[in-house]
Amino acid sequence: MSCAELVAATNFSFLRGASSGPDMVLRAVELGLNGIGIADRNTVAGVVRAFVPVRDAQVRYARENNGEAMPFKLLVGARLAFCDGAPDVVAYPADRDGWGQLCKLLTVGNLRGKKGECVLRFDDLLARAQGLLLVLMPPHNPREAEPKLSELAEAAPGALWLGGAMHRHGSDRRRLAVLRDMARRSRVPLLATNDALYATPEQRPLQDVLTCIREGLRVDSAGRVLEANAERHLKGPAEMARLFRDAPEAIEETQHLLARCEFSLSELKYDYPEEPVPPGKTPQQHLEDITWRRAHLRYPGGIPPKTERLLREELAFIADSDYARYFLTIHDIVRFADDRGILCQGRGSAANSAVCFILGITNVDPEEIDLLFARFMSKERDEPPDIDVDFEHERREEVIQHIYQRYGRHRAGIAATVISYRPRSAIRDVGKALGLTEDLASTVWGSWGDNLPDNQVRQAGFLEQNPEIRRAVDFANQLMGFPRHLSQHVGGFILTRGRLDETVPIGNAAMADRTFIEWDRDDIDALGLLKVDVLALGMLTCLRKALDLLKTHCGKEHSLSSIPRRDAAVYDMLCRGDSIGVFQVESRAQINMLPRLKPKEFYDLVIQVAIVRPGPIQGDMVHPYLRRRSGAENVTYPAPSPEHGPADELVQVLGKTKGVPLFQEQAMRLAIVAAKFTSEEANQLRRAMATFRHVGTIQTFRDKMVEGMTRRGYDRGFAERCFAQIEGFGSYGFPESHAASFAHLVYVSSWIKCHHPAVFACALLNSQPMGFYAPAQIVRDAREHGVEVRAADLNASHWDNTLEEGEGGVLALRLGFRQIDGFREDWAERLVTRRGLGFPDLESCARRAGLPRRALEILADADACRSLGLDRREAAWIVRRLPGEPLPLFAAADAAELGEEPQVNLPAMPLAEHVVTDYQTTRLSLKAHPMSFLRGRYRGEGLCDCREVSARRDGAWVRLAGVVLVRQRPGNGNAVFMTLEDETGITNVVIWARLFQQFRREVMASRLIEVHGGVQRSPEGGVHLVARRVIDRSSDLHHLADSGSISEGGDRAAHHPRNVRIIPKSRDFH
Amino acid sequence: MHVDQAAHRLGLVPGLTLADARARVPELWIEDDDPPADSRLHAHLAQWCDRYTPLVGADGADGFLLDITGCAHLFGGEERLCADVTGRLRGFGFHARSALAGTPESARALARFSPGGIVTEGGEAEAVRPLPVAALGIAPDPVRALARAGLKTIADLADRPRAPLAARFGADLLDRLEGVLGEKIHPISPRRPLVEKQVEQLFPEPIGRVEDMLAALRDLAGRLAILMEQDGEGGRLFEAAFFRADGKVRRIAVSTARPLRDPHLVARLFSERIESLADPLDPGFGFDSIRLAALVRQVRRVAQAGLDGREAASEKLAELVEHLAARLGEERIVRFAAQDSHIPERTACLCRAQTPPPDASAWTCSAAGEPPLQPLRLFEPPQPVEALAEVPDGAPMRFRWRRVTYEIAAAEGPERIAPEWWRREEKPLTRDYFRVEDRDGRRFWLYREGLFGDEVEHPRWFLHGLFA
Repeated sequence: MSCAELVAATNFSFLRGASSGPDMVLRAVELGLNGIGIADRNTVAGVVRAFVPVRDAQVRYARENNGEAMPFKLLVGARLAFCDGAPDVVAYPADRDGWGQLCKLLTVGNLRGKKGECVLRFDDLLARAQGLLLVLMPPHNPREAEPKLSELAEAAPGALWLGGAMHRHGSDRRRLAVLRDMARRSRVPLLATNDALYATPEQRPLQDVLTCIREGLRVDSAGRVLEANAERHLKGPAEMARLFRDAPEAIEETQHLLARCEFSLSELKYDYPEEPVPPGKTPQQHLEDITWRRAHLRYPGGIPPKTERLLREELAFIADSDYARYFLTIHDIVRFADDRGILCQGRGSAANSAVCFILGITNVDPEEIDLLFARFMSKERDEPPDIDVDFEHERREEVIQHIYQRYGRHRAGIAATVISYRPRSAIRDVGKALGLTEDLASTVWGSWGDNLPDNQVRQAGFLEQNPEIRRAVDFANQLMGFPRHLSQHVGGFILTRGRLDETVPIGNAAMADRTFIEWDRDDIDALGLLKVDVLALGMLTCLRKALDLLKTHCGKEHSLSSIPRRDAAVYDMLCRGDSIGVFQVESRAQINMLPRLKPKEFYDLVIQVAIVRPGPIQGDMVHPYLRRRSGAENVTYPAPSPEHGPADELVQVLGKTKGVPLFQEQAMRLAIVAAKFTSEEANQLRRAMATFRHVGTIQTFRDKMVEGMTRRGYDRGFAERCFAQIEGFGSYGFPESHAASFAHLVYVSSWIKCHHPAVFACALLNSQPMGFYAPAQIVRDAREHGVEVRAADLNASHWDNTLEEGEGGVLALRLGFRQIDGFREDWAERLVTRRGLGFPDLESCARRAGLPRRALEILADADACRSLGLDRREAAWIVRRLPGEPLPLFAAADAAELGEEPQVNLPAMPLAEHVVTDYQTTRLSLKAHPMSFLRGRYRGEGLCDCREVSARRDGAWVRLAGVVLVRQRPGNGNAVFMTLEDETGITNVVIWARLFQQFRREVMASRLIEVHGGVQRSPEGGVHLVARRVIDRSSDLHHLADSGSISEGGDRAAHHPRNVRIIPKSRDFH
Repeated sequence: MHVDQAAHRLGLVPGLTLADARARVPELWIEDDDPPADSRLHAHLAQWCDRYTPLVGADGADGFLLDITGCAHLFGGEERLCADVTGRLRGFGFHARSALAGTPESARALARFSPGGIVTEGGEAEAVRPLPVAALGIAPDPVRALARAGLKTIADLADRPRAPLAARFGADLLDRLEGVLGEKIHPISPRRPLVEKQVEQLFPEPIGRVEDMLAALRDLAGRLAILMEQDGEGGRLFEAAFFRADGKVRRIAVSTARPLRDPHLVARLFSERIESLADPLDPGFGFDSIRLAALVRQVRRVAQAGLDGREAASEKLAELVEHLAARLGEERIVRFAAQDSHIPERTACLCRAQTPPPDASAWTCSAAGEPPLQPLRLFEPPQPVEALAEVPDGAPMRFRWRRVTYEIAAAEGPERIAPEWWRREEKPLTRDYFRVEDRDGRRFWLYREGLFGDEVEHPRWFLHGLFA
């Protein structure tokens, strides 16, 4: 007899279901069920994940069986749990309208509750039962549910079932008899289910652990909160028939319900909003009108032929695919930002098209680089186009609220992000449920990555053989990737023409004024819904500020698109690796790469952005590319054996990158062209590598690709490297189109840095926190580029950093009050507005600006009173005497002048202490580098400085001391990189893993470190110091701080890190 | 985060975050902060300091101020006293440092910011001069402000005019400065002694008869009851100390099941305890004093007696338990308590009867009108039987127990109970329980151990209980 399981939960029934949707579906097929109903608790967030494998399998089955439909059906719905004590009801849509009802019902519940809560009442269901097929799940004592059953039977005539389950609780058969009785009385058919929580009985322990996590219990004391047995797994038809031998009609009913449900998620056809189209025109006409109008505006002397050809091709393709409304929607959003003066730039597969360039969505000129539209153009990828738009991070919220306003909350929602268990959270929760100490969580994974090497556990003092630990780790591994809750995506919007809440339920986000839908981007992708990514980018804020400064101080009006192109000075600067603060290429690895890659034109920047990524690095593609670029190696293209295809089949794929795959889409094309993946398989591969959970399935792709390429005559090593690269793309996939958009920002920021270093530094400082470097390094870099930097001063500074007329008409950078730790923006505002021609002394400043004494203390401490002729010590001494709170104006006018007092003769502050205090208050000092005060002493010890290190020959043995700026530990963990700084420059230090184990504490704890090691020079001029020994010299900094010494074993408070912080904390990995 | 000396030597400092510390020293030993325990320890040590002087004050959470005026000679002089204090504390495993000076402030400053030692009279000002200003015991903010002004040691302050200092840092700073310099003495504020509930009776003539002792205990219990009544308390643990004329002390304790005050009941508990002692009270030459203390006390709610007398019944039960416990020993009076488990033999455990009565609702009850799912009587261990049943999970049709065969007329089940996987057992097996009735109407509780095919090939059968 055919049988289907129609009440099954997945792990999207958070902390209840113990199997993923795909696992449930797979097991149901294995067991020979002909259908499964996925219903999670008050959500449909997990249904798409269950749907995708079924759809794929159906397509495959149909192909293999001459178009016959697969005898398996997936029902998607939700299990409605009510807040008013009514029994749970599982609801499946009978058709598309029913799906709309269900989504609306869940939306009602979601919007009633706080984030993540769904507050549903039984009445809500009674009011919206049309189009739904319902299964009432009776409580422990089924008779209690009888009134609700008859109520619901009236509201949903002919569409209600009574669910019965046989969980081997002893009195199952008696209970079943009661249910049959009830069913007969209420004229509701009885439905055989198993109310499954997991696929196989083996998941029972995990389900117990989940229950404990949910209830905050420990397994050994949770008792009867846990299930008594492992019966809530999926069961095959024979087993179900045996269990329900007293009520065979209940098994038959599964088939009736299955047949009644005609809805499939593939019916959710997307309909684009119509908003931007004026009445009387089709969207395509409107798009073409705008495009050509703007094109003529942009090229008054005639559109370049290449661009014109591209526009025609693209517009035809857009018409063919009916994507016009999508482009219009994006254009609409970008126009809004433009009108408000918010910088934005699009990226993504469709963004780098001529149409997008003309519409102002992107600034990558199709004239400048070869078109990347191909990826999007490929017909075989039956996916909606993908355009992400970055906005200034400080102003993105305006755009978001505009979208809500324009389309309405019922039609616009942000996509969800599924927050999943990660190693750390998994081991913590499992550890708690198993009753292990909290400590385990942080110790076992601690600051390590995503895996659990045994030696880490051993090192942490735990025996990995210890069964308790082993078990906790096993559970944690099972739990990893399980969803914990939904959160809102950073900016992926779903827009619809009709009501959004009839397509997917909407819920409240934690942030005020935000609502988000229950599906994440993968789900949306899988269903082919349209998404507009509205993202925030710090560099755009910085560029906006820089462009504004250029306008006010240099009288030059520029936009992202009007910056002069092909400027050799800019490329020369980048070739020198002089890129601190520049977008994307400012990291240590990027700076090292610049002199090796020597970018000369825009496309080189595209490659530069993409090459220092896990993909090309793991695939070992970086060095071959560099060798070929420098001419040290011939450009060759791997080829299949002649009988398998043309030898140049990869030229088209790899031509632009000298035969070396660097971009994500090249790797994908490789899979299709060289390993003969179908485009559907390639898409599966792309999806598989994007999702953390699919680590297991990637192995099958690996075999398929490597074997496929080898069989066709490719070198096995090359095939394996290609796949390693695809794996590397997994977490940080970087397509060419993104690289191109980023490269444009690289160029623009480089241009400003190159030609207007003061403007660049000022904008960068005013956009903090962003980027890779702290204000100290930005200021230092600016000064090295000849910018005069002036200290913050109460008579000259504003909140933001500003530009002033410097000597010889050059702009000078005046630090703003925002650089002073603890100073508040409203204080700065009061100070600036009441400053007039300047304060003559501190007392008048306190009185006129009405600042609290705290504010003045901070100013004094930051040495911002020099214009009054006071250094920080004198100023602070005066400030401390002022009254604590600002006096009301009249009282202040009447207040007696502070009287004369005896001379105190404070000792003068030594320069070293000034510098140290500068660092403590503003994290930088314009007076000197702290290391310069230690130089004499270090010279005596024979230590050299950074400049000397850069000048030494390869292999020279040196000893160096410097302040630690950055510590990094790249993914593979072979080495730790440290960047040291002193008054002469910086040095990059490499510490190999073995040495790191030995000197771990010194490496991690030192602010000031002494390194002994060998100089390593690369042919391109990069210099590293390979450490052999490191010594923590941080205590030398303490001596700088106060010439008077604190007795050893003195008060502990004196050693509190806050008090001894001299150099701001370095940026570290954890 | 705080660190011990070993961690300090590794370069860890207080205030680091745990993640930072672990990144540096992964094999770190970590204990959770437990402020109540710290303050208990501190209070305990303060009490211990009473041995030197009755005037003991706390100094922060990790120090003590002792006013030893007139006490030093008892310990052989100041030096010996200081050595005694630090020596004993080190013996307990503490790092201790002491300083002795004319004012509490200077002693404190020297103990915390110098190697310590004894300051000769009038030498305070000289001794504290090199100390950092933090030694004044002022907040971190003014310490930092003073350091910014270049005033880093007490000498820097002492040598400067005081009015500008007061104008900036308040009179409190001057006050402390004067204290540290020995110019002004602030008496220490001694901690409040712990209130104990204990009463004592001295006898002009040593007594030896048990009746006399019990009579004395009754009187003492009466006085103790008054003390406890003032605070609305009752005793849970009483201790009587009998001081023999020759200096030996015998202590006897009784505990109760509820907070108790009634002197008669207390005296009766003692009399039962004394009568049942394995080694009886040996009066020797007689006891010259008896002390009675309520060591553990609880708030005693005064409840009005209900009309149905149910409270009275539970009072009676408690009384019975107390008497039995006093006579036979607490550990021998036990009762059942419900335990939360699916495994039948783990649904109950024995616990001391004197612990508060467990929540009756924790017991499994079948719903009203439903038959009980488990019998009241269980076999421990379950009795192996031979049974004939349908595979895989059918009910038994007949079984043989103690050489008698029972033909089964009716059965219900299975009730499947899976093993508790988190326990470390040899080979955990799932059980299928059946409630069965034989042809004569006898009802049994049987189970099959192990799932047929999945867990074992030939499941064994057990009789676990009989329904009444």
